[in-house]
Amino acid sequence: MALLVALFAAACGEDKDDQSSGSSENAAAGGKDCGKVVLNEQAWAGSTANTYIAKAVLEDNLGCEVEITKIAEIPVFQAMADGKVDAVLEDWQHVDEYKKYIDGAGTVVQGGPLGVEGHIGWFIPKYLMDENPEFKSWEGLKGKEDLFKTPESGDQGMFLGGDPSYVQKDKELIEALGLNFKHVTAGAEPAQVARWSQLYKQKKPVIFYWYTPQYLNQEYDLAEVQLPPRTDANQDCKDDSKSGGDPEQYKCEYDVTVINKLFSKKFADSKSPAYDMLSKFELTNEDQEQVAKAIAGDKVDPEKAGQDWVEENQDKVDAWLN
Amino acid sequence: MSDSSGSAAVESPEATPPAGGNGEPLVRAENVWKIFGQKADRVIGTPDAELSRSELHDKTGCVIAVRDVSLEIMPGEVFVVMGLSGSGKSTLVRTLIRLIEPSAGKITITGHDVMEADASELRELRRHSVSMVFQHFGLLAHRRVIDNVAFGLEIQGVGKAERLARASEVLGLVGLEDVANSFPDQLSGGMQQRVGLARAFAVDPQLMLYDEPFSALDPLIRRDMQDEVVRLQEETGKTMLFITHDLPEALRLGDRIAIMRDGAIVQLGSPEELVGSPANDYVRNFVRDIPRTHVLTLRWIMRDPRPGEESGGPELDVKTTVKDAVPVAAATDGPIRAVENGRCVGIVDRVSILQAMAGGPEDSGGGS
Amino acid sequence: MQVGGIVLLMLLGYLLVDGDYSWPVSLTWQELPAKLDDAQTWLLEQRTAPDPNFFFAILDGFRALADWLVTALTDMLLWLTWVGTIAAGTLLVLRFGGWRAALITFLAFVSFAVMGLWEESMQTLALMSAAVLLSLAIGIPFGVLAGRSQRFHRTITPVLDAMQIVPAFAYLMPVVILFSVGPAAAVICTMIYAVPPAVRITALGIRGVTADSVEAARAFGSTAAQTLFKVQLPLARRQLLLSVNQTIMFALSLVVIAGLIGGRGLGDVVTNGLYSNAALAILAGIAIVIMAIALDRATSAIAERTDPTRRHLTDRGKRHARVLTLATFAGILATVFAARALGADSVYPDEFETSTTVYTATIHDDLLRWIQDALDYVQDPTSFIFGITEPLGNFILENLLEPLRKLLVDSPWFVVLGGLTAIAFVLSGLRPAITTLLMLTAIGVMGVWPEAMDTASQVLVATAIAVLFGIVIGVWAAESPRVERLLRPLLDTLQTLPQLVYIIPFIYLMPVSRIPGIVASVLYAIPVVIRLVTNGVRGVPPAAVEAAYAFGASRMQVLAKVKVPLARESIMLGVNQGIILVLAVVVIGGLVGSGALGDMIARGLQRNEFGEGVVASLAILALGIALDRVTRGRRDPSRA
Repeated sequence: MALLVALFAAACGEDKDDQSSGSSENAAAGGKDCGKVVLNEQAWAGSTANTYIAKAVLEDNLGCEVEITKIAEIPVFQAMADGKVDAVLEDWQHVDEYKKYIDGAGTVVQGGPLGVEGHIGWFIPKYLMDENPEFKSWEGLKGKEDLFKTPESGDQGMFLGGDPSYVQKDKELIEALGLNFKHVTAGAEPAQVARWSQLYKQKKPVIFYWYTPQYLNQEYDLAEVQLPPRTDANQDCKDDSKSGGDPEQYKCEYDVTVINKLFSKKFADSKSPAYDMLSKFELTNEDQEQVAKAIAGDKVDPEKAGQDWVEENQDKVDAWLN
Repeated sequence: MSDSSGSAAVESPEATPPAGGNGEPLVRAENVWKIFGQKADRVIGTPDAELSRSELHDKTGCVIAVRDVSLEIMPGEVFVVMGLSGSGKSTLVRTLIRLIEPSAGKITITGHDVMEADASELRELRRHSVSMVFQHFGLLAHRRVIDNVAFGLEIQGVGKAERLARASEVLGLVGLEDVANSFPDQLSGGMQQRVGLARAFAVDPQLMLYDEPFSALDPLIRRDMQDEVVRLQEETGKTMLFITHDLPEALRLGDRIAIMRDGAIVQLGSPEELVGSPANDYVRNFVRDIPRTHVLTLRWIMRDPRPGEESGGPELDVKTTVKDAVPVAAATDGPIRAVENGRCVGIVDRVSILQAMAGGPEDSGGGS
Repeated sequence: MQVGGIVLLMLLGYLLVDGDYSWPVSLTWQELPAKLDDAQTWLLEQRTAPDPNFFFAILDGFRALADWLVTALTDMLLWLTWVGTIAAGTLLVLRFGGWRAALITFLAFVSFAVMGLWEESMQTLALMSAAVLLSLAIGIPFGVLAGRSQRFHRTITPVLDAMQIVPAFAYLMPVVILFSVGPAAAVICTMIYAVPPAVRITALGIRGVTADSVEAARAFGSTAAQTLFKVQLPLARRQLLLSVNQTIMFALSLVVIAGLIGGRGLGDVVTNGLYSNAALAILAGIAIVIMAIALDRATSAIAERTDPTRRHLTDRGKRHARVLTLATFAGILATVFAARALGADSVYPDEFETSTTVYTATIHDDLLRWIQDALDYVQDPTSFIFGITEPLGNFILENLLEPLRKLLVDSPWFVVLGGLTAIAFVLSGLRPAITTLLMLTAIGVMGVWPEAMDTASQVLVATAIAVLFGIVIGVWAAESPRVERLLRPLLDTLQTLPQLVYIIPFIYLMPVSRIPGIVASVLYAIPVVIRLVTNGVRGVPPAAVEAAYAFGASRMQVLAKVKVPLARESIMLGVNQGIILVLAVVVIGGLVGSGALGDMIARGLQRNEFGEGVVASLAILALGIALDRVTRGRRDPSRA
């Protein structure tokens, strides 16, 4: 303690104009002056990718000062409400928060779709699909659940569930489809990846909850099992088991998830050039996976990966700037 | 045993305090009780108060530490409370300055009603009138010896220079000038307790409380320390209340001694009275190993002088112990005159000396 | 024996009672999660209301203070430059803690630099320093109160227990609503976890001051304040600094969670690394451990060396010390100004440039490659280790976990309720049994009986393993100082390495959902069990041991017949603390597939199922209290 107090005393007399000011006040005041922009990066690689692409453009083309925070998905809504974070570029439809912060308090505003489309489904390794082409559809799984047996699932086949924090309905789906699977939770995404990739490396059968865009799709050869398609007949089919109720109402494939950009009200009102650019900011699944793969797979520094992409895709960038 | 609930102290007529001062006691405690446990106050004054310790504990869960104790200590007196461990003596001394809150009773020290004192009056009493020496010294390990001695003055708010001057003066008194800058854990036990003594003396109190101060020390050192107390008492004339479980120590130091058992005083009197006429078997058992001739004085064995005996023959001070009278008696055939302030107050002859020697235990003639 | 009988009866109940006796719906308060959700919404509305009331004004004040403190500390570290920071840290520890601790401090700073994690480390250091300072500012006064008043101590103990058992995930969102995101929120979350040890150890220190000294002070007429400042605090100083030390350790174990709400620093690196670069997460985890060990060694060395009861400072010594202190500060300032004049960066650079060449300044990439190689080995399902760990994991699952889970989850609820209450009565007495009954009933009423029983089965298996190994290793360490010396850094590592980091290899090595969670909790709990057992065995009176040897006992006989029985008290405390610590990691288990309550809590934050998360946290708390009472035994309830 003495150490801290002493050091502290030593620093107190000094000005503190050096380096970062630590304050996250958004100083953008309209006009051409961009000022400081605070973007929030989520833990997964895709989010790192789009955040650093945006950072590269904001810094190099608009002369903004960009700060990147790493706040978890739900708390970041409050952060935007308090004006501590200006923008989230990849939000996977947090409907409850939209109600509270966008429709309710109005402290957060929609920033339009990112362009990337989320798709959730049941995936198996490609080698397994090659051996069992009938797995292309969920009906082919019927009676073959035994293949996926592990010590953990006992007599049933093991279905490896997704990160508990993600939207999912697999327990209900398994029941509604009458499949003899035991839904096993592997925990957060890194743990789930560890589980299925382990089996993948052993060339063993495995079926699991998975999604795109995801950089690992470039590293592992995966194939998707077709679930009962959405038609006019089952329009009300639900995706998020959070809403409860009868398993039958979940009996369909996952809907495409539109991924949104979100801005703090304060940032949106600032008329900063950064806001204009981010409003137009748009990526495809391929753009995002490519950069994410560079960062997470090839361990390229995120700054550099973002800049590289900007250099190669100047036409897209120009569209955002005009 | 017959004396299991000796709530009334057996007090010999001679046990009136020595009339040294103006006759007003420095400490007066009347009917002091201390009962540990919940609902303790519901015991006193009920028949339960007459129960023995274990009976009371079984019945109410309360433990009696001090049972209806009354005593007076005169200025300049060394008053010893003696008892085995658990007899309540340490609790008693603490109740006097309310380090432990008494359950009932009335206590007066230097004319102030201690029970009625509020927190600040009590602090004033502790700061200026009374100080205490502890069995385990209670020194502050983070302070130098001299700062320990000055602690009481510091608490009083005495300035630094003044209190350090006074502390080194007192350190001189106990012969510790050389270690003033040392720390307590660098000293032997005996020296640590000298620091404790010095700390108590430094505030120049009227009353000093000693709570078994020497029982943690080796026998030889204990003797030195007892001498030290006797010397300090003679030099300073402080009134002292001394707690001990060691009977020889009590006899050595005490003007008067109270023997406690199960929280109550079973006998209160001078050393001679305890040894010469134990109040009951408990006390008798205690003093059995004490050589009577070392304690009893001529006053105890003398008879009134018959006409004609007031002059002639050897004379000895009335406070001479029997042991010291033996050589004189051996050298003369006649009676020995016991003298007090130059006046003959009694006569001792060989027979009474021999009786005194025989009345005690198998006294082999003073081994100590 | 009686416990065995009860367990047998429970088994019979499980086997004989037919039919479904899950917790009845009629005894469940189903609206509870929704009500909690409403409460959170209400809080949010209040918070965003245009004119903040008095209560929020106080919170805003505290937020401003915490934000300011973190910012000021960060700015100071930057102002010092990296050279100056190393100099300041090393010289200050050298001055107050001795050369050994200074060397460790120096090496720690150097490792942050060469790992290429300097900036993140300094952010974490600033955040943790602020959190620790504020924790102590609250914890020490409360600890002093608790040390002086038995009643206050009894009142505050359950609150402290709750603060330590309820997982941070559960209160992350309310904290964010009240304090927004950023350093302040991170500091608050850290404080909730780090204040309890500060209070407990301070109270212990105040109590530990010998009664003699305090009584002497009273006898000389000290006021309460004089006794406190002149006697109790100076004599408890070493213990107080120990509380600083433990507060730091607990604070550091929250770095990762603090990162989730804007704490920045190493916590962010761990979280993001887990998703995209596991080696980086592990590297950041190692940096956290290094910081913890350096801070631990520095603070304990300072505590020892500045203890006024051992230092024996005379006037001359004091003058000498003052001169040394001044020289230290002069040295630091000189270094800082020299560094600034020579243009040293505020953070350690990635590259050094000379006029001709550019040198890489860190071995960041090499380290990552090495860690990745190790990870690749671990991930290789044909490796030798995997051949051992996979069957082991399956064995634990099939022979320990599943049977116990079935017993607890599938038995009629009244059999489990009655059985556990009866065990509490036999082991701990009537009051604990009543508490156990109440807590288990609360779990049922909250509607999470099956989840709680599932979690309980995992907690019990993890505790059993932790206690078994903890006792064996603890006794061994007590017998051999060398073993203890070797263990110490390992135990420190286990206590401070974020569980998410060391859990990764186990997900690969024991690919069964609930097993990595159990491994994580065993590893988290075992250091404390080992330490308690070691201390207990060490504390056996030498006279008893000597007597046993004098009767010709062999070393094993002495252990089995004297040391272990006499250390029973500490060993039971080890079991008890083991359970509490295992429960503290349940939420981490949720992140790696343990399911049950941990899963609910993890989801509670990430999907904002706030009510569910709180219910699950309360269930963990209730379960913790119940298991604590069952295993408490008949010892003094006023434990520290």
